Amino acid sequence: MAGVAAPVALGRARSIDAPALLCTAVLAVVAFGVVYPVLLVVLQSFQTALPGQPPRYGLDGWRAALAEPALRSSLWNTLTVTVVRQLITLPLAVGVAWLLARTDLPGRRAIEFAFWAAFFLPPLTVTLSWILLLDPEYGLINSTLATRLASGKGPFNIYSFWGIVWVHVITGSLTVKVILLTPAFRNMNSAFEEASRVAGAGTWRTALRITVPVMAPVILSVLLLGTMVSLQTFEVEQVLGTPFRFFVFSTTIYDLLVTRVPRYDAATALAVLVLAAMLPLILAQQWVTRGRRYTTVTGQFQNRPHALGAWRWPALVLALGLVAVVLGVPIVFALLGTFMKLFGFFHVPEPWTLENWKTVLSDGLFMSALRNTIVLALGTAVAAVLVHSLIAYIAVRTRYAGRRLLDFISWLPFTVPGVILGLALLWLFLGTPLLRPLYGTTAVLILAGLVSGMPLGVQIIKSGLLQLGGELEEASRIAGASWWTTYRRIVLRLMAPTLMAVGMITFVGAARNIANVALLSTTANRPLAILQLDYIAEKKLEEAVVIASIIMLISLAGALAAYVLGVRGNVG
Amino acid sequence: MDRASLEIGRGEVFTLLGPSGCGKTTTLRLVAGLERPDAGEITLRGRVVASVPRRVFVPPNRRNLGMVFQSYAIWPHMTVFDNVAYPLSLRGLGRTTIRERVGRVLDLVGLAGTESRAATLLSGGQMQRLALCRALVYEPDLLLLDEPFSNLDAKLREQMRLELRLLQRRLGITVLFVTHDQIEALSLSDRIAVMHRGRVEQTGPPRSLYEAPASAFVRDFVGSTVILKGRVSALEPGRVGVTLDGPLGARALAGRSVASAALQNGAAVHVAIRPEDIGVQEGRADGAGALPGVIDTLLFVGDRYEARVTIDGAQRIILLLARGREWKEGQAVALTFPPEAVSVWPA
Repeated sequence: MAGVAAPVALGRARSIDAPALLCTAVLAVVAFGVVYPVLLVVLQSFQTALPGQPPRYGLDGWRAALAEPALRSSLWNTLTVTVVRQLITLPLAVGVAWLLARTDLPGRRAIEFAFWAAFFLPPLTVTLSWILLLDPEYGLINSTLATRLASGKGPFNIYSFWGIVWVHVITGSLTVKVILLTPAFRNMNSAFEEASRVAGAGTWRTALRITVPVMAPVILSVLLLGTMVSLQTFEVEQVLGTPFRFFVFSTTIYDLLVTRVPRYDAATALAVLVLAAMLPLILAQQWVTRGRRYTTVTGQFQNRPHALGAWRWPALVLALGLVAVVLGVPIVFALLGTFMKLFGFFHVPEPWTLENWKTVLSDGLFMSALRNTIVLALGTAVAAVLVHSLIAYIAVRTRYAGRRLLDFISWLPFTVPGVILGLALLWLFLGTPLLRPLYGTTAVLILAGLVSGMPLGVQIIKSGLLQLGGELEEASRIAGASWWTTYRRIVLRLMAPTLMAVGMITFVGAARNIANVALLSTTANRPLAILQLDYIAEKKLEEAVVIASIIMLISLAGALAAYVLGVRGNVG
Repeated sequence: MDRASLEIGRGEVFTLLGPSGCGKTTTLRLVAGLERPDAGEITLRGRVVASVPRRVFVPPNRRNLGMVFQSYAIWPHMTVFDNVAYPLSLRGLGRTTIRERVGRVLDLVGLAGTESRAATLLSGGQMQRLALCRALVYEPDLLLLDEPFSNLDAKLREQMRLELRLLQRRLGITVLFVTHDQIEALSLSDRIAVMHRGRVEQTGPPRSLYEAPASAFVRDFVGSTVILKGRVSALEPGRVGVTLDGPLGARALAGRSVASAALQNGAAVHVAIRPEDIGVQEGRADGAGALPGVIDTLLFVGDRYEARVTIDGAQRIILLLARGREWKEGQAVALTFPPEAVSVWPA
């Protein structure tokens, strides 16, 4: 080969299969952090002794859980809230995603970002701001309408089934679906639609007969994901449901834990029931996405948006209306609430004040909680990017024998209600001698965030990897790079936008995480989210809403950062 | 993929040719180390890189191979320079050496001056050249090409084919090439292995494959073939007489029997000939050696005509007719089949 230069020697072949060892190590660590706590939950449900006494095993917990009179109604409530949420949000989300991804809706990029930002709003903050509008007595909408209605009473009550559904639709059900469906709709090859248009179908018929059916697997997968998330809800029902004795599964469990004598056995027994309900959903989700061909967007086809014509403006009004409801109202009213003398009372003389901010900012607890939150959120984000991407990579790209098991395990944190997962991690830390010194440090909370964020993080990275052609990695292997070098220099670099997004989602999730850390945090490592919960428990709603607004601002900054980084880093 | 035994000589262009799903890409990936074999052995320059009986598997990064992928697999987060420099930096070469060698290899394919450009901004042909540079820059022991031309348009494909052949001659590099396109295979290769259903049907130089196919599959897959049905009417050493099926019956042809086939008098056979070997004259056939035909359909394709001709009102064949003469649909033609170009196959 005279033309180029002398060949370059490569090192000798190694006989030990290093990648397989690494995969097994990852599997072992993940199993310890996820499967072990879940097993502890199952075991605990048969452990009937009171805390502090030697363990005794029996079925008392199960009997108590199943005999609990509230159980049947909470089961029914969980089911109806979940179904109604999905029924309302799915068609709406499909419509919005279609408008944003496949039409010439004016300002569609900005609207997409608004949904993205709304997804990051902490549910508790959103709940508090909608209370300001829809409280049956003092809510701004109700009191405004009351003066004009004959009955003299506002028509809305947020402390009701429909109030809870409404807040859920706003706090996640709709936004999460829109932000998951929109990119999927955008990546669809427009040739399918063009063929239908040429065959004589109009825009609407093409959307209904071609676009939606082609996207059916994605839509179904998002629906299953949404159902799982909604079986987990906690804060909204805790704040809105408890006043009128409306319990769902997670709040029933929480109730069993925070009574004077905590019923760990009964609470965990209920958690095992949730787990049993979740497993088929996970299997269904994996089955739906099983044989899916992810086509890379190559620039080979052009995505020409449908012209909406005269429908542009009604569609824009609808989209902007949704943005106002999911993003505008929560931000404006949460901030307004922080300046109120008495939270929710607009009609008292001189309702505005700066006292709440002064009180919170001068509170010694605030600065340490803020510091804890930032360390917690950053730590969780970095750990999540590393761990979740490794799991996703092994599951998608390797031939490792345990890859399916690893994939399945990554779903498990979804199956356990957040509060119980926190409790199980507490047992894990206190029960493992090597880990016991970590109790009370932020590391514990980071682990909780890492585990609870695992299903979503791993899924997002997995779908990103599937869209990346495998040949890009194979080319690197052939060029002489080891598995690890390829992972560092090709995979991580190409996945940078996705990883940034996962990092920011985890950052925000950790900053606002309540359910998982409620039982894990101590005064030493208490983050803002728990400080806010403490203020609520002390009925200091004004201070709570200040903290809620600060968490919201951190979240929005994270959303903006994720969006900007994701767009800038987007290659090709 | 099973039971394939192949040996590639140094400095040779060896091609795996076959329809999609025949196992050619799997074979290539086995050589590359991207798949693990279930049985058998792969040796590269005297070094066993994969052997099931000896429990040896050398990962792809330790085989010192070059590969051009069907999608080119140009890393979109790197510049042109970085793409080519990557394998060199993995081998721990110094900055100046890398710069010099990347420059030289880019120059070789006419990409000099594009070093700092984002790799994604290149055209299809440039990307292909870049992929080739990346695979060649570290002097691999063997260059693997996985359908590298399939994403190019027809003109560019011809041009790249020629460029690659010139480059290979100049560098004397050994190439294992996978394609389903017989023209690419015939024009680029020193030797070709035709694969079918995971097996190698025949191995040989392009010309012998084309002129003396060993099986019906190779005959039909490599090049186009005119096939007429008939029965054996005369057996002589090295020569078979065939009476064609059809309403007129008595038409006879002569040809050589394929080496492997033992034929008997009266046995049903296929008579095969390359279309370009058929002699075509205007007017009715008169002599015993010619068959009468009528042009059914005539397509002008630029450099020649493609004609569908009915023989004896029964069998239809596709012929290529020279542009030099004026042809018409419905015209009668006389077809001659030179016995040395005709082969007789058991039906």
